Order: sequence, then C-alpha cells, then structure tokens
Amino acid sequence: MTDVATVQRLEPADARELAEMLRSADDRRLAVVVRGHGTKAGWGVPAVRTDAVLSTARLQEPIEHCAGDLTVTAPAGATLAAVNAVLARDGQWLPLDPWAGGESTVGGLIATNDSGPRRHRAGAPRDLLIGVEFALVDGTTARAGGRVVKNVAGYDLGRLLCGSFGSLAVITSATFKLSPLPPASRTVAIAVPDGAALGRLIAAFAAAVLTPSAVEVALPGPRLLVRFETTETAAVQQAAHAETLAAAAGAHARVLHGADESACWHGHDAAVHHPGGVLLRLNVLPTDVAGVLAALEQRASLHGLRLHAAGRALLGCLLVHADGESAALVELIRHLRTAARPPAGHVAVLSAPAAVTHAVPVWEDLGGAAAIMRAVKAQFDPRGTLCPGGGPGGLA
Amino acid sequence: MTDVTPAPAGAPAGLPGSFHAALAQALPADAVLRHPADLLTYESDALVHLRQTPGAVVLPRTTAEVAAVVRLCHAHRIPFVARGHGTGLSGGALPRPDGLLISLARMTRIRHVDIDNQYVVVEPGVTNLDITKCVAPFGCYYAPDPSSQSVCSIGGNVAENSGGAHCLKYGFTVHHVLGVEAVLPDGDVIRLGGPTLDPPGLDLLGVIVGSEGTLAVVTEVTVRILRRPQAVLTLLAGFPSIDAAGEAVSAIIACGIVPAAVEMMDRLTIDAAEAAVHPNFPPSQAVLIVELDGAQIEVHELFATVEAVCGRCGAETVEIARDNTARERIWKGRKAAFAAMGRVSPNYYVQDGVVPRTRLPEVLRRIRDLERRSGLRIGNVFHAGDGNLHPLICYDEAIPGQAAHAEQVASEILQYCLDAGGSLTGEHGVGADKKGSMPKMFTADDLDTMQRLRCAFDPSAICNPGKVFPTPRLCGEVPGPYRAHPVERAGLAERF
Ligand SMILES: Cc1cc2nc3c(=O)[nH]c(=O)nc-3n(C[C@H](O)[C@H](O)[C@H](O)COP(=O)(O)OP(=O)(O)OC[C@H]3O[C@@H](n4cnc5c(N)ncnc54)[C@H](O)[C@@H]3O)c2cc1C
Repeated sequence: MTDVATVQRLEPADARELAEMLRSADDRRLAVVVRGHGTKAGWGVPAVRTDAVLSTARLQEPIEHCAGDLTVTAPAGATLAAVNAVLARDGQWLPLDPWAGGESTVGGLIATNDSGPRRHRAGAPRDLLIGVEFALVDGTTARAGGRVVKNVAGYDLGRLLCGSFGSLAVITSATFKLSPLPPASRTVAIAVPDGAALGRLIAAFAAAVLTPSAVEVALPGPRLLVRFETTETAAVQQAAHAETLAAAAGAHARVLHGADESACWHGHDAAVHHPGGVLLRLNVLPTDVAGVLAALEQRASLHGLRLHAAGRALLGCLLVHADGESAALVELIRHLRTAARPPAGHVAVLSAPAAVTHAVPVWEDLGGAAAIMRAVKAQFDPRGTLCPGGGPGGLA
Repeated sequence: MTDVTPAPAGAPAGLPGSFHAALAQALPADAVLRHPADLLTYESDALVHLRQTPGAVVLPRTTAEVAAVVRLCHAHRIPFVARGHGTGLSGGALPRPDGLLISLARMTRIRHVDIDNQYVVVEPGVTNLDITKCVAPFGCYYAPDPSSQSVCSIGGNVAENSGGAHCLKYGFTVHHVLGVEAVLPDGDVIRLGGPTLDPPGLDLLGVIVGSEGTLAVVTEVTVRILRRPQAVLTLLAGFPSIDAAGEAVSAIIACGIVPAAVEMMDRLTIDAAEAAVHPNFPPSQAVLIVELDGAQIEVHELFATVEAVCGRCGAETVEIARDNTARERIWKGRKAAFAAMGRVSPNYYVQDGVVPRTRLPEVLRRIRDLERRSGLRIGNVFHAGDGNLHPLICYDEAIPGQAAHAEQVASEILQYCLDAGGSLTGEHGVGADKKGSMPKMFTADDLDTMQRLRCAFDPSAICNPGKVFPTPRLCGEVPGPYRAHPVERAGLAERF
C-alpha cells in the first residue's frame, strides 16, 4: 500500500524539466503515476505502488493554432476547454466531448483515448492526433508524427500512446487535426416504446442517408438521441427526416435546440457519471445493442440494481452505470463477460469500489497479444517505473 | 543506391540448403519459387530502380502456412520481406538475396461480410477495389481510395497506411481498419482489434498500420465499410495560376467547409492527362477539382458557396459534374495523371512530400525556381486539401547523368517540404527509398525510440530489415538494468 504522506509531487515547468524529473525518479526506482487534471484518475486499476505523482498541470502554454491548416499544437497540461477557447476565435474546434471534457487535459485525453457522443462522426483522440512529443523514463525526449495532417514517415507512436494510461511514456505536447465549428445544431430526442422498437430504429438510422454527429442510446427508457450539426437548413431538414423514421417505428420524437438541447445532452452524459456503483464500458456489435440493453434492464430489475446506460448506438460502444449490492454488481459483470465474448464484444470496468475489483478483473484478458504488449512495455519502461500494474490490460 | 544492410549475424549470403529443404517440407511444391526466371517478377516493387533478386519466393495460401514459413525464418535467422501486389513506391517490398520473399498474392478470400454492422473481413491479398465491389450491391464502399486501388492489396494498404483523394474528409487506412490477424516475426499468430471497438490493452493495431511490413506479416484484415453518401457533387475549375487556385482552396476552408476531396493539377500534368485519357479539362494554367458529399440538402447548400468562392478567386471556367459520367471523366483525368506523364516525357520520377497547406504557395514557388535552374520539367499534381505534393520530375534516361540529376531534384524538393514544417512522405512510405532522409525529419532519439517498438516485435531483426530506418538499433541493449544516456556516453553530463 502506498503511504499518501510520502508521495512526492513533481510539477515540472516544461518538457525538459519533466524529462529530467522522470529520469531521476527512474534512477531512484520510484514508481511514477502521471496526472493531468485527474478527471479520470479513478479509471482503470490504480498503480500497485505510487511513490511520485508527476503532474503536467504547469505545461499550459503555448497553444499554437494554425487555422488555415486546421491544426493545433498544445502542451500536455492545457485543458480541452482552454484549447477550444483559442480555436473558437477562428471558428474551429477539437471535436472531442468526453465526460468532464472541458477539464480534461490534452495529455489525459490521449492517455485515456476517451471520447463522447460525437465519436460517432468525429472519432476518438487516436483518430485526430497527428503528432506527439513525449519523454521516456530514461530522460529521452522524442517526437513522432508531425504537424501536417497527412504523414506516414516513421512509426506512429502517438497512436501507441493513445489509451496507454501513462504506462509507456509521458506526453508533453500534441498536435491534432481540427474541424470547423458547425453553424447549427438540432437534436431529435426519441422515446422508444420497447427493446424491439429500439432495435428497429437503430437499424433504420444505420441504413439512413442522414449524416448525424451523434446517435446515442440511453437507459432508462430506452431513448435515442440523434444530433445533427451542420448548416441551419440541413440540420432542420435532417431532424425532420429523423422524426419520420421515429414515427415509422411507433416512437415519439421531439426536436430540441438551444438551451433545451444543451440541457438534454448534459443530462445524458451525467446520467452514467455519478459517484458510487460501477461504471462499465461495453463494446458490442451495433445489431446487438438493443438486445444487450434489454437483457441488462431485466437483470437489473431482478437484482435490485439502479441502472443507467448511454452510448454510441451505431458504434456499439456503451457506458453502463449500475449501483446496488456489491455481490449483485460482481454477478452483473461476470454475466456480461460471458454474454459478450471477444470478438463479438467485451467489457471493461472503468471504475468500481474495491469490493468489486477484488472479485472480478478490471480489464479483460489480453489473449494471445499479452506477450507482445508486455514486450512493448519492457522496451519503453524497462524497470516498470510508470504506473506499475496500472497500464491497460493491467500491464505491469 | 541499393544499399542492403548486412545479414543477421551468422547467416551467409544466399539461402542455405538446409533452409531450402525445410521450406520444401513446410509448403506444397507449387508455393515455393526458386528458379531465376520465376524470381524476376519479385525483384522490385513499383519503384523499379531499386532491385534485388530474392533468395526464394513463397506464395502461402493460409495463415498457417505463413506462420510455418516465418517460424522457419526465425529458426534459421533468415530475413524475410512481405509483399502484396508490388505497387509500393518506396521500395518497401524490395527483397534481398539472402532472404525470403513472402508474397500474400494467393490469400485473396473474402472471409466475412456483415453489412448490418458495416464491416468486412478479408485476406491480405484482396485488392482495395475488390472490397468495395463486394459491398457495392448493398450501397456500401470502402473509403480509402489510393489511385492504385484496382491493383494494390489491402495488406499493402495496411503496411503503408495508404490514403487517397478522399482522405481529407474520411481519413486514411488507419481510420478504417478495425482489426488484423498477424504473424509475429517469431511465427506466433496474434489478433488485434476486431469488429467491436476499444479492444483491451495497448493499441498495437494503430502502430502496425503504417509500419511498412517491419513488425509483422498481416494475414487478415477487418475493415469498416461506409454507406454511399446520398449526394456527391464535383466541380472542375480552371484558374489563371496555381496561386489563384491555391487561394481558392484556402478560402473554401476558411468558410468552414471540409470537402471530400480537393485536388490540383498544373498545366504540364493537364497536358499529359489530355494526351492520355482526354478528360477535356479547360485550357488553364491550373485546375482544381472539388468534391463535396453527404446529405443532399447540406451538399447543395455548401456547393453553392464553393462555386461562389471559385468565382471570387478568379476562376476562368467552372464546370459542375451533374451526373456520374461527368464525374467519372473528371476523376479519370486526375487519376491518370501519374501514368500519363509517359506521354510528355520518356521518364519521370514521382516524389511524395507534404507541407502545411498554408505553405503551399511558397513551396510551389521554390519548385518553379528549381525547375528553371535544373532545366528539368516538373509537373505538379497534388492533394491540395492536405498539402500532399506529388511533383513529377521529367527526365530522359538516354541522356547521360539525367536520371541522377532528376533524383537530386526530387530530394531537393523534399528539403523544401521539410523547411516548411512538412513531412518526407504523405502516403508512399519511407521504405528503402527515403530511409536515408529520415534524420532530416527526426532526431537520433526520435528514431531510436521508434525502434524500441521494432525491438519488441522483432528482436532478431529479420522482419523486412533495412527499411524505414537509416541505421538499425541493436535490440540487445534494452531492456537492461542500466543504459547510459547519449549525453552521458558522450561525456557531456553525469547522472545526479
Ligand atoms: C500508379 C500508382 C498510384 C498510386 N497511388 C497511390 C495513392 O493514391 N495513395 C497511396 O497511398 N499510395 C499510392 N500508391 C502506392 C501503393 O499502391 C500503395 O503503397 C499500396 O498500399 C501498396 O500495396 P501493395 O499490395 O502493392 O504492396 P507492396 O508494394 O507489395 O508492399 C508495400 C509494403 O507493404 C508491405 N506489405 C505488403 N503486404 C503486407 C502484409 N500482408 N503484411 C505486412 N506487410 C505487408 C511490404 O513489405 C512493403 O513494405 C500508388 C502506386 C502506383 C504504382
């Protein structure tokens, strides 16, 4: 166990100092955990040991926006909100909307590869990252990718760092490709009568010629939220089209915009992000989404669990929050893992109380790729200095 | 020019008899080629001036056969090179006399199609266009569209992270590959990713894509397919100068529009295309092809803006393709540009570099100066939306010294790209061709760090060695208990 009082705080002022601190910690065999703003600090498995917490909070400047090139380069400690405030002056943005997104730092976004409803069209950090600078535990500073949107020179180590949970290297700055800010937005909120109708509606949206920026399912409900972010006329017309699809499936739809629309999206995100209980990420095939959600609801009512779900319907990526007796939560996770087996699906525990994480593994089995992933970890962090035991898949 | 890094320690040049014998055991007789005449086809990829005769060629039909062959290579320390359909333009599939060439050309099955969930599972030898063909009846397509799409393999696309004219909006191969099955350099078979997103562990899929066959042999690919957009509108505009066309591109982007494609051609490449496929392009100094796609209403609304912008920026002609025939004619002109250069010059050298889009005018000006100074004609055809240049340097092999001169000119253009903050390659890869230039773009530490990944996958350095990196990293060094920092080794600093 880590004694909180003895944990060192490292707050480097720049990338050079960060690399030096890292090297010194590695030399002294300290276990280092990297922190941005801590918005996802409870995610995954905590490191088995933490001697030092390295914060990127002071790496905030400069945010270099090249509007004509649709790119931005920002230091690891800059928050998404700070970056987007700069980009907005020229009508652009980094279209990532993870939970607590504004407060997430650039480094944290990459390390968790976290995204939100807009992943449907815009993708996750790994899809938008075009260049990265980082420090290795031996004090080396290196760069991969570049500042141009198209580039295949050398290995794309930036993508390797996406979702690595700070277990390979410490990101010091990153370059992303950007999008223009959409001029208008409409959201069609659809109350769906039952699971069967939900399945039909998801299939209808998958086959439709519409170009939504987000297609979300939610429990309780079920509900569907379909967002159109484009020109005013196109948003209005596409929303009307979505309404007719909903009506054809026997569902009731409402078109939201302005303050109602924002409130609706805030509520949707917040529903699965409240304290207590377990937060799970389920990845299934889109055609299985409705069935999985119906089965979840049934199980939850049987075991007295409070259940919320929100997710990308057409990507099959769902966040599920469940609260109740630990034993029932453990059973739920076990059940989901037997029902959704790779490659048709998988289940990760993003956060859970100790009583749960002691009983079920947080990460799914890495399967045949475990050995090569360990070899990669050993190359980048030979002494296991970074986030020991807390890497994705529990990489030591 | 053809420099081959030394064979792994202990392995003699040419393939040892014991290895040949083991190969004959592992594969059916018709899957092994070793007669000189049979090896000719495999001497080079589409970068034909780099050539070597491979020690032998194998044509496995299954993953198990690939794994068996790779295990043998590993046991005998024989370097191997994977090859798709040999259309690469950087010598990535250049074989070696002391090594084995593994052609994936016989692995051409489509293993699974799931239209509802929008993915297809294919073997690596399936061509890019065949994926689209198999899902086209369902109104779907595979988005990355390299000009070579009818002949290049999906395995090669994965290795090169290939792009196409439409990657401005839709991204590259890496954005459309959901999973792979791959044979590691020790013969182990692994799966990374698959039809469901967010697979556990490190994103090794994201680095295998674009690794130019140096980390593993890909034996199966799961790709995402997309629904055809409801509307596609294409415009062909003629401009009095490249600069004016460039301004139009900037203005379109400043309007908040991300077209599906924005391509530019200059007079020389227009002439070549006209001579070859008669696309009937306007007699301007530069043409711009702009394509928008998406929902009908949105496309029509934004298209009006694009038209207006072109007019404001001095377009001499604006032609709108209202149907597929017109659209195909425009694209035929663009896609034929490379091959068509043969109509205006006996030989030409295709360069591939990237600049930040806003630096295009300045870099193109430098290229024009170079054209004047060098006495070689340089055609320009490029993906203007993302700053990916493809200068075509014309020369005549029959004139002594001109080929070498063209190569110098090509490498000077690369320097301009780097000076402007760009990249050595936007889509053709580093391969054997540009590895010597990598230190111009990356520091020794950058390259050494990239090679840590290589050491994890291929510690015995047998998987397409001698490509991408100018000097191999000795994998024995790490992981180790202690490694001197380069600064320390140079005696410049001590540890505290
Ligand atoms: C006329 C023409 C136009 C072109 N246009 C474009 C374009 O628009 N955009 C673009 O991006 N490229 C373009 N290219 C380049 C080329 O077509 C691509 O790089 C393509 O992806 C190569 O595929 P291939 O099957 O021919 O691969 P090959 O040339 O056989 O091999 C290329 C590299 O991939 C590796 N490789 C091949 N298969 C595998 C496998 N299964 N596992 C591991 N490694 C493997 C090889 O070792 C080699 O390093 C063009 C080429 C030509 C000749």
